[in-house]
Amino acid sequence: MIRWLIKHLFPRSEWLFIAILLSGIFVGFAMYAFYLSRAWSYASDKPETCINCHVMSTEYLTWLHSSHARQVCNDCHVPHENVFKKYFFKAKDGLRHATIFTLRTEPQAIIMKPEGQKAVMDNCLRCHAPLFAYVQRVSTENAFASRACWNCHRDTPHGRVKSLSATEKVMVPLPGSAVPSWLKRLMQK
Amino acid sequence: MKTINQIIREKPWMGWVIFFSSLIATFFLGLLASSIMERRAESIAVRNLPGKIEPFEGRWEAWGKYFPKEYESYLHTSDTSFRTQYGGNATRDMLAEEPELVILWAGYPFSKDYKQGRGHFYAVEDVLKSLRTGAPMNHGDGPMPGTCWTCKSPDVLKQMNKLGIEGFYGKKLSSFLSEIKNPIGCADCHDPATMQLQITRPALLEAMAAMGKDVNSVTHQEMRTLVCAQCHVEYYFKGEKKYLVFPWSKGFSVDSIEKYYDEIAFSDWTHPLSKTPMLKAQHPDYELYTMGIHAQRGLSCADCHMPYVSEGGTKYTSHHIVSPLYHINKTCQVCHRESEEELRRNVYERQEKIARERHRLASLLVKAHYEAKAAWEKGATEKEMQPVLQLIRHAQWRWDFAAASHGAAFHAPLEVMRIISTCIDRVQDARLLLAKILASRGVTDVAIPDISTKEKAQQAIGLDMAKLHQEKAAFLKKIGM
Repeated sequence: MIRWLIKHLFPRSEWLFIAILLSGIFVGFAMYAFYLSRAWSYASDKPETCINCHVMSTEYLTWLHSSHARQVCNDCHVPHENVFKKYFFKAKDGLRHATIFTLRTEPQAIIMKPEGQKAVMDNCLRCHAPLFAYVQRVSTENAFASRACWNCHRDTPHGRVKSLSATEKVMVPLPGSAVPSWLKRLMQK
Repeated sequence: MKTINQIIREKPWMGWVIFFSSLIATFFLGLLASSIMERRAESIAVRNLPGKIEPFEGRWEAWGKYFPKEYESYLHTSDTSFRTQYGGNATRDMLAEEPELVILWAGYPFSKDYKQGRGHFYAVEDVLKSLRTGAPMNHGDGPMPGTCWTCKSPDVLKQMNKLGIEGFYGKKLSSFLSEIKNPIGCADCHDPATMQLQITRPALLEAMAAMGKDVNSVTHQEMRTLVCAQCHVEYYFKGEKKYLVFPWSKGFSVDSIEKYYDEIAFSDWTHPLSKTPMLKAQHPDYELYTMGIHAQRGLSCADCHMPYVSEGGTKYTSHHIVSPLYHINKTCQVCHRESEEELRRNVYERQEKIARERHRLASLLVKAHYEAKAAWEKGATEKEMQPVLQLIRHAQWRWDFAAASHGAAFHAPLEVMRIISTCIDRVQDARLLLAKILASRGVTDVAIPDISTKEKAQQAIGLDMAKLHQEKAAFLKKIGM
């Protein structure tokens, strides 16, 4: 079987050099793309990852100034039932985002897809469960069958104004030193 | 001559050599390409600012033309129409509201003039107009050092860079009348090239270093507090050179700072009534703020005093630095779901209870000063008075620590009440000792002059207010204000 694969899939000897060269170029560019897209950062939960490209800058800034600033993006936006589901969701969502970004088809105002909404809703419940129990008790129908938290809590946490152009002069994440160079020089004296 | 194919067939590892060399070549070619791309992106980013803001640029409008929303909101710090129960940006004459203060600060410039601070817009104007800074008629005259300017203007950076830190502090307030013109502005907190938050005043850096903290390792959220802590802190002028120091090396609390001052035997002035070597608390806003629940939950000054606002389709950080009660909807209600009235009531309740106790304390301290004066007049000895003076010194320092930070009653109500309770102890202990000293000399009652108004209190300590106003008017006329 393996012999058969080698015989049929690998190039004949006279093509070997060019094949090796081409695959080298291919793998090299793959690594380059990996490097350029900071692909390793997507394994983390850091909010800065979400502004690797500029499309989510408004979401980042509005979150940073919100009542949920101590939670990170992934606390709400990916499922937390188990680690496999989390990374499967991230991979799927990430590939979709990458495609949209590459094709330059990002919308002016980003609105969650149903799957994303479900993930967020589950995460609202994850932390605010006691509150939900109360709302369920006092409501006359199944309060969450047709509504999401943010249907009423419309400002939480990104506010209502969140188009691509909602935040001008985005300078995040912030670079460099917190002390100007002239003062460093004076203080060393 | 063998072909490459033959070589590879004979030595398969040669194939790997070719593979890895082409891989490495491609990878580095890619790196080069990416660096070119990054540089292109940089040039676009620079183009976002159609011009350059020069280093040490102090004029608000020079920054404002690139950041019109932030600039426009910052201009609102000129507003003086907002008044809360205890603060706001309207001018309040604190001495008129609580004439006891005149007696507590007798012999110190604060007894002449003490008003609620107005917005940053007025920083330069108010430091010159205050009776506390006197009327230095000639360049380089007067008792007030250059250090007084440190927190008043972004023009300070240029002067400090020119003269050195000590060189700047060592000059006089009156040495910079033509150099320092712009009130507290953009350059005080922002890097002109990147807009990053920066610490531009050495005193905070030195104090943090003394506490073993590195300013470069703090988060952006902490920076949103630390830029304020460059000025809104307790400080003193050290030695003849009037070097600005934040006394934090033992800690932030009123007790640690008291210990710090006692160890170096520092006093701001000697009280003319009780002969006590006094301490004046400045405005320990940052220190007390860190002891409150909002700081403990990770909030920064800017979260409440410079809220995030939306205007039309855009959002930005309001630079109208003001009491959060000015727009509760943009501040408290971002986290708290209670009504505006309820939240305002919650703030006022804390402030009111503390203000009442603080006022009670101030009148006890007035009595202590007059009783000490009477004791000296009846021939009390240094030895008898020493413990009394120490108690008065500590008591008034603690009272002042709680009073001078206008926001503290809300920032850290529990800590402020604790400070006040330790202060009541000390002032009453002092008065007990004084009662014994006075009783041993046959005195049972000490008369306190009528200090029911600011004017009467200033008269009681022998201030010639008419003369002070006249001198000030002449000074202001000379500098064209």
